[in-house]
Amino acid sequence: MIDESTMTGMIRAVFPDAQIQIWDRTGTMDHFDVLVRSNGFAALSPLDRHRAVEKALAPARADGRIHALAIRTELLES
Amino acid sequence: MSDPSALRTEIEKEIAENTILVYGKGTKDAPRCGFTLETIQFFSQFGYPFAVVDVLENMPKRQVLSEMTDWQTLPKVFIGGNFMGDTDILEPMAEKGELQTLLEKTFGERGVAPAIKLS
Repeated sequence: MIDESTMTGMIRAVFPDAQIQIWDRTGTMDHFDVLVRSNGFAALSPLDRHRAVEKALAPARADGRIHALAIRTELLES
Repeated sequence: MSDPSALRTEIEKEIAENTILVYGKGTKDAPRCGFTLETIQFFSQFGYPFAVVDVLENMPKRQVLSEMTDWQTLPKVFIGGNFMGDTDILEPMAEKGELQTLLEKTFGERGVAPAIKLS
């Protein structure tokens, strides 16, 4: 279980300009859809964008606070 | 088959033998994870054959797969031998028509037409 502000903080630590939307899929605060919009993705492939967001949230993955996560990434300017 | 190099050989063989290959949790008939189910439903719309390999309880194989792909989660999808991530990557590609083009090309090279006509 993790709250939105904690997730947002973890992602912004890596992508400070990120605009982040989070959806709690199940109402249990551990299955999420997240949309991350950042210009930090500009040089990254779709796979590497996804890897970078997973890495930012890795501590919450490892200790089980996040059980399931679907990630969408976009550039801010698009 | 818990030796990592043997597992890697097994994985490479599976990837070579299946144009679309999904490593997931559970089988096509009995998926045991929401994302695996979503991935099966996703590929069902294209009309091309795809294989699902259940690695839920095979932790050594999951470990080797994660190292090979630098991708920690299941499902993991391979198309034409290339790692493609999961539906987070593939759905936006499908929305743009890029996935359909890739599938036509990849299966075309192998002489396989879709079972249902793509709209």
